Order: sequence, then C-alpha cells, then structure tokens
Amino acid sequence: MRRRKWIVAATGITAALALAAAGALAADDVIKIGACQPITGRFAFAGVSINAGLQDYINYANENGLVKGKKLVYIYEDTGYDTDKAVATFKKIMAKDNPVIMYGDSTGLGKAIAPELNSRYKVLYGSTSFSSELADPKIHPYSFVSGPTYSDQFGILLEYIAKNHKGKGNPKVAFFYSDTEFGKDPIPYARKRAKELGIDVVSEIVTKVGAVDVTTEALALKKTQPDFCIFQGYVLAPIPQVIRTVRDYGLKTTFMGTFWSMDKSIIDKLGADAEGYMGVSPYAYYNEDAPGIQSMRKYNEKANPKEKSRPNSYIQGWFTGMVYVEAINKVLAAKKPVTGDNLKDAIGMIRDWDTGGVTGKVTFVNNKAAVGRVYRANVVKGIFEPVSDWIYVK
Amino acid sequence: MEDFLQMVASGVVIGGIYALIAMGFVVIYKATGVINFATGELMMLGAFFCFTGMTAAKFPFVAALLAAAMGAAALGALVERVVLRPLMGKATISVIMVTIGLSSIFKGAAQLVWSGDYRAFPPIFPRAPVRLGSVVLPSLQFYPFLIALASCALIALLFRFTRTGTAMRATADDPLAAFSMGIDIRRVFSLSWSLAAVTAALSGVVIGTMGGISPQLGAIGLKVFPVVILGGLDSIGGALLGGFLMGILENLAGGYLDPLVGGGIKEVAPFLVLVAILMVRPYGLFGTREIERL
Amino acid sequence: MRIGDYKETYAADEAIFRTPAVRVWMGALGATMLVFPFVAGDYLLYLANLIGVMIIGALGLNILTGFTGQISLGHAVFVGVGSYAAAIGATRLGLPFYLCIPLGGAAACVAGTVIGVPSLRVKGLYLAIATLSAQVILEWVFSNWDSVTGGIRGINVPPATLSGVSLNTDFRVYFLIYAVTAAFTYFARNLFRTRVGRAFIAIRDRDISAELMGINLFRYKILSFMVSSFYAGVAGAVWVYFAKVVTPEYFPLSLSIQFLAIVIVGGLGSIQGTILGAIFMTLVPELLKAGTEAVKPFFPDAMSYLFPLRDILFGALIVGFLIFEPHGLAEMWQRVKRYFALWPFRS
Repeated sequence: MRRRKWIVAATGITAALALAAAGALAADDVIKIGACQPITGRFAFAGVSINAGLQDYINYANENGLVKGKKLVYIYEDTGYDTDKAVATFKKIMAKDNPVIMYGDSTGLGKAIAPELNSRYKVLYGSTSFSSELADPKIHPYSFVSGPTYSDQFGILLEYIAKNHKGKGNPKVAFFYSDTEFGKDPIPYARKRAKELGIDVVSEIVTKVGAVDVTTEALALKKTQPDFCIFQGYVLAPIPQVIRTVRDYGLKTTFMGTFWSMDKSIIDKLGADAEGYMGVSPYAYYNEDAPGIQSMRKYNEKANPKEKSRPNSYIQGWFTGMVYVEAINKVLAAKKPVTGDNLKDAIGMIRDWDTGGVTGKVTFVNNKAAVGRVYRANVVKGIFEPVSDWIYVK
Repeated sequence: MEDFLQMVASGVVIGGIYALIAMGFVVIYKATGVINFATGELMMLGAFFCFTGMTAAKFPFVAALLAAAMGAAALGALVERVVLRPLMGKATISVIMVTIGLSSIFKGAAQLVWSGDYRAFPPIFPRAPVRLGSVVLPSLQFYPFLIALASCALIALLFRFTRTGTAMRATADDPLAAFSMGIDIRRVFSLSWSLAAVTAALSGVVIGTMGGISPQLGAIGLKVFPVVILGGLDSIGGALLGGFLMGILENLAGGYLDPLVGGGIKEVAPFLVLVAILMVRPYGLFGTREIERL
Repeated sequence: MRIGDYKETYAADEAIFRTPAVRVWMGALGATMLVFPFVAGDYLLYLANLIGVMIIGALGLNILTGFTGQISLGHAVFVGVGSYAAAIGATRLGLPFYLCIPLGGAAACVAGTVIGVPSLRVKGLYLAIATLSAQVILEWVFSNWDSVTGGIRGINVPPATLSGVSLNTDFRVYFLIYAVTAAFTYFARNLFRTRVGRAFIAIRDRDISAELMGINLFRYKILSFMVSSFYAGVAGAVWVYFAKVVTPEYFPLSLSIQFLAIVIVGGLGSIQGTILGAIFMTLVPELLKAGTEAVKPFFPDAMSYLFPLRDILFGALIVGFLIFEPHGLAEMWQRVKRYFALWPFRS
C-alpha cells in the first residue's frame, strides 16, 4: 500500500516536471495571437468571416513554416460587438494567455482600451476598424489599420472622380452617411480634400443606419443633382432603397461606397440597380488572379472545400494575419525578442512590401497603408471589376 | 410645392404602415390593458416567417403571407396562455417587463434560427414606380402601403361588424360586465393577442419588403409609441389617424429641418411631438380620459 | 434563532443593523470587500467594478420603481447625462473627481426634473412613455450636439487623482467605486426610515389614500424621480472614471432595460435585492460563456451561439422570475434565511 503511494507520487511529480519543461520549451517556440471577434451581434455577418480569415492565415502560416522555428497560436473569443463585453474579453485574454498580438472587433474597443494598451498591456493591436482616429501614432502607438483609413478611402474615390469627370464645370458630389462614428469618421477630411481637388460637395445627407423611409433624403439628392454620391457608414440598408428611389426620380447619379459596402454580395442584393455601382476596396477580391489570392483559394480548397467564395471581410482578416507575420519576421530577422514594442516598431519599418497582389505595395506610414483600388460592379458576372490601378494616397 | 406634395404623399404611405403597427398595439391595450413592448419583435418574426415560406417552402407571396399570419396567430395565443395568463391582475410593471423579456427571447431565438444576416425578400412587386401627377412613389413603398391599408380596413371591419369584434370591444370596456353577459373572457384575451400578433406580422412583412429583414427589424416598433399617444392609447381610429399624421410629420420634419440640424431628425421628431402632446393633451386625439372612481 | 422583538431605546428600534449578529456579518462583508482586490485577478476586478457601478444606478431605479411605483424606461440616458457632465467637468473645467461626481448627479437631477414635471401630472403609464422618449431624444442629443458632447467621438477623460496618486488601474478605481457604492447604499437604506421614504412607499401602495393623508402626490413623485436621477448621474460619473471615455454608444435602450431587469430580478422595493440582482445579472452571462467554452469539444460552433443564447437567457430570466418569483432574489434569500432560522422546525 505504501509502495503504491510512492509510485503514484513519483509518477505525478515526473509528469508535472515534464509538463513544466514542455511548457517552458513550448513557451519559447510559441507566439500567441489573441482576438476579440464580433462573431455574434450587429456585425456578425462580417465577424464570422474576419475570424475565419485571420484563423486560416495563421494556420496557413504554420503549415508553410512562414515564421521560422515558431508556431503561431490563435486564441479568440466572441464579443457580440458590445464595447463593454469587448473590453472585458480583451482583459480576460490578456490575463489568461498573455499574447503579444491582439485583434479587436471595433473602433469602440480600440478607443476604450487605448489608455491601458499604452501603459500596461503593450501589445501589437490590429482591428476591424479603418477609423482615422486609430491611425494616430501619438495616441495609439500600438494600433495599426489594415490598409487605408476611411479618410484615405474617400481620398481615393475623390481622386478618381476628379480625374475621370467628364462634362463641364466641377464634378458635383454628395456625401451620404450614417450618424454613427463609422459614418462620420472621414467626413471632415473628405470635405477638405474635395475642396483641394476642385470638387463641389453639393449636399451632405445623414440618416440612421437601416432607415426604412428614405423619401426626404432622395428628394434632397433630387434637388442638388449630384454626379456622384458616396455612401459611408452603411453595410447594406438603406443603400438599395436610396439607389432605387433616386433612379425612380430619374436621376443618373453614380453611387459609390467604401470598404464595408463593397462586398460582392451587395451586387446580388441590388439586382439590376447595381448597374454602375462603384467603390474603393483596399484588397483584391476572392475571384481575382493575383498570386496572393490564388494561395488563399488553394488553402480554402483544401481546408474549407464547402466555401465557394469568401467575402472581403475574410480578406481583411487574412491580410491582417499577413501583417502580423511580416512584423514578427522583421523582429526575428533583427534578432530581437518578440514583444509588443518591437512589433509595433517593425510595422513602421514595412516599406514597399509585395503582398502578392492581395493589395498594392504596402508601406505603413502613421500606422496605416493608404492604398486601394476603384472597382465597378459587373451585374452580369456578379463581381466587382477594377477600373483603376492601385492608388496611393499621400 | 412639388417637393411638399411628394413628402406628404410618401408620408401618407409610410404613415399607413405606422397605422397598422399601432392598430396591433391598441388592440391589445384596449382588450387587456397591457402595453406590449414585444410589438417590434413580433413584427420581425412575422417577416421571417413569410421569408422562410417564400424561400424554403417556395410558396408564392400571398400563400407565404397567409402562412406567416397563421404562424403569428398561433404564437400570439401561445404567448398569452403561457406567459400572460399567470400574470393577470398583477402589477403593471410586471406585465410591461414580461413583454420586454419576451422581446429579448424572440430576438435571440431569431438570431439562432436565421442568423444575424441581413436578408432581402425575393422580388415580389413590379419594379416600376407609381406616378400620381408629379408625385413619384417607389414600387416598394406603394404596394406594401396597399397591403397595410387593406389590413387596417379588414381589422376595423372585424371590430365593428363581427360578433368576435363586438365581444372584444365589450371586454375592453368592462370585463366584468362582459363576463356576466356570457362572453368567455379568456378566449377574448387569447384572440386579442392572436390578432395583435397577426397585425404585427403583416406590418413586419410590409417593413421587410421595404427595407430588408434582420433580427434588428424590431427596433422600428418603438415608433409605435408616438403614434398611439397622438391618437389615444385605446382608440383604433386614433391609431389610424395618428399613423398617417406621424408619417407626414416625420417626412416634413426630415425635409425641412434636416439641413438645419445636420441630419437624423426624422428619428427624433416623433418623440419630440410625443413629449409636446403629453404636456398639452396627454390622452391624445381620441383617447378616453381616465376618471378614477373610488 | 431570533425570538421576539425587544428594544429598550428608540435608537435601538430605529437602527439599521438591529442585532449583534447582523453587525458582525456586516463587518465581515466590509473586511471581505477590502481584501478582495488584493486577491482577485484582473478580470474579476473588472467585473467587480462594473457591478459596483450597476448597483448605484439600479438603486436609483429601485427607489423610483420599487419604492414609489413609477416606471422609467430611460434610466440609461440619465446615467449618460451624469457621465457627460462629469466628463465635461473633468476635461473642460478641470475639476477634481470629488466635485465631478456630484456635478454628474446634479446634472442628471435637472434632466430628470425637466422630464418628470410634464409626465407626472397624469396618472398611469405616461411616465414610462415619457422616459422612453427621453431615451430616444437624449441619445440623439449625445450624438449630435458636437460642441458639448464631442459627438460621435465622445470625450476622453483622464483618470481621477487623489492627493497625487492616479487612479488609473482597476485595482485603484475599485476603492473609489465601492466607497461611493457603500455610501449611496447606506443613504438609500436610510431614506426609507424617514418621512420622505415612507411617503414614497405610501404612494406606491395606494396613492389615493396617501393623498387623503396629506401627502402631496406630485411633489413626492418629482422628488422620487429627482433622487433616482441623481443616483443615475452619480453612477454615470463614477463609471466615467472607470472607463475613461464617454461615447453615445454606451447608453442605449438595452441598458435601461438591463437596469429594469436587475431591479425586477433582485426584487422591487428591496435594497438587498438590488445588490443581489446586480451581481446575478452581471455574472450570469459569464457563467453562460464558461458553459459554452466547456461544451466546445462537443459543439465546436457553440461560441457563435453565445450572444443569441444570452439574449434568450436574459429574457427567460425576466419572464421566469416574474411568473414564478415576483419578489425576486431578495425573497429567495429571505426564504433561505428563514429555513435556517427555524430549523429543525419546518418554516
């Protein structure tokens, strides 16, 4: 009986030591990436895909040994797109797993967590947000935007309009945006840039997201007869109603959108009214033939054969994963430890990075990479086709 | 002037839809004294029922609409039996909170079954807009408006001319007297909830065709409060008139005031009107003045 | 086991903590609360702070709804008014936190008076609907009155400083939050020993009789609404020092409903119940999350159902408590205590 006890104890101690040793070894070879994802709630349609994109890229990176000698581990939790829950989830993941990289679900989380991120947590922080606020290295040194901010996106559209406007006089543009942070974020910059480019902003229309009756708004457009109307702050509603009603009034305005309203699904939802719908996208689409997109498709054929197509939110997640890995590799190449501070500095060192056509050549300035392309809807094929080259905003 | 007419016309159209939503609300308040905060979510479920009927079961629109109405009626009766019957006679706050709890359950359930994705009905109505003189009414506003108007008329007729409707009105007036006259109060309550659910489902379908369906559709249910306060909490005619007035008012406010305030006033204007009405004429246009008898 | 009720002085009869046993338990509670931040992890500390703020807000709502019988659906925006007032006080006027917190309370109190005066004149559900309007209107004001509220971007607030020490971690803010919570709980408990508190209860129970006895209904209803708004404002102000940022998105209708749920699940008209309710309603989503994580090996998709399940659970709790346990957690707690007090005799 006594001997049995000793054997059990000895086995237990050996096992514990082995685990500890393995843990110590593993800790060195493992880089943890935590994420607060909006898998349910208002942003769920995108959250699920973003999560899939980020998770898939991390698996892809592990499979192909893109980070030498290290394994990437992905830990995610749902936030329901609620800022309070998101902050709580962020703190929980930091406390439990202590990752060096985090991904956030919203602009709100980025802003709320900023004080503690800068003073205590100090991890590299990417997110779903393209808000210009987060691209301020003074207030948010650890955050970066996975591409152009909304302001940059507006800038790209405005440049395209200025360059391609036919007809007499200045081009007339209307801004149609929602009364949320998402909607209002780029507007001050957009007004300024329009003036610089000689574009007349003939009206600014603000509505609630998901407004049902858009008569008065459409009337305002009818009164001012803009050549172009740029949507900001909506994903779907009320874009279809606005376009339909405005066409019913006989206007020939060209409608444009920014990233979240440029997923290919909007072409299906708009039907025939999608004719002429344009917008800016920071990334290439899943159906294109750039080498980076092809590897994405090849990975999905193997890992997720049921998914025939992936939305642009998936590519946002995938691309953010690419940025993470690029930063990690830069830090490792400089023979420095993988910490949040070194990673954030590494972001600033990314110059003219070739992403295999997933986006243009990436250079991070002020924590953002202001590059995108203008696309137009092809209603027959149901996809977006590029009408410009990669445009870089200064 | 042309713009003004356009705004009024669109206001009437959207007002018809508000009137339908308000009618469902007033039916319950009149019959049972309950303020139903789950109106919005019942609308949302009705829209989803119809959507599923059209996409999964491949019914044509009218059949799907009827199926949705029947489903909603069953749901309303179930809710009344399981949740509201035990609370009969309890404090008002309890009943209000129960409807709020129900709205939460419905929203969560809808998200589980149909996911949070935003969906659009398959094309139902002809694409071309309807023109009345200089006024242009988009097809997705005009035809749903016809449905809403027809439903309102149907319900008003039901209340006025059928035996069930009379029973409901009697129960609303004085439950004890109605009971002593041989009316089965419990059945009337059940029927009221079913009717309200059907009305909500119809308005949900109408809103869904106009702006798409998602579990967040219920948020528009809040707009019912300014309408019923304007019209009177327990007046069906008030709900009708209030709906139209509120629709027109909203549009005029949006058209003339939005440029001044920077937008978004269409959401707030009905509630500002509500506060104003509470201050001058709290019982609304046709509501009965409550006289407390000891 | 407590038998009989024997008091020798008026002071003893009116005391809040009546028996030595209660005083001992209160002392133990105080000691636990003091020790808690030293032993709790980051996440628990964060939750505890959140619960503290919710307790203050819910107490205010309970005073209005549980003790005076008036229904408010706009509690969240009064919390918001308090938050913005405190934030403006801290950033634009440079006031220290011990001035900003009462400032927040006072601002919410004024807002409450403005809403309350027209709607409390009429009996019935009009206050509920008026507060619902206040919710919509004030939310719009928060988002659009850019010059004062910072619009969509909101206001960033520096952490509170107490004689040079900056309260910038959850650990330090914990003491601030719970100092305020303890003070306001004590005040609420005390309120119902006074004439004013008894007037509130009289209005809830039978307002006609109260009026006959000489209680001015309108005056006391407004007073109740003002006190409730003050609590909401203070909750908002304290929360600002916890979250360090105010944006309009923090005060939606669902927050008002959450407060109502806390008050109902905890027990209308019971201070103890409010505290239990706040803890319960904040921890239940956490338990649900732990549950879905535990179930993950069998149902890998469980995570994505978390939030709809949470909504359903929330609604089910409200409906369940209202049907089966209308007096809330407080009543359940009393039953447990009675069982042990009367053991081995059946209760």
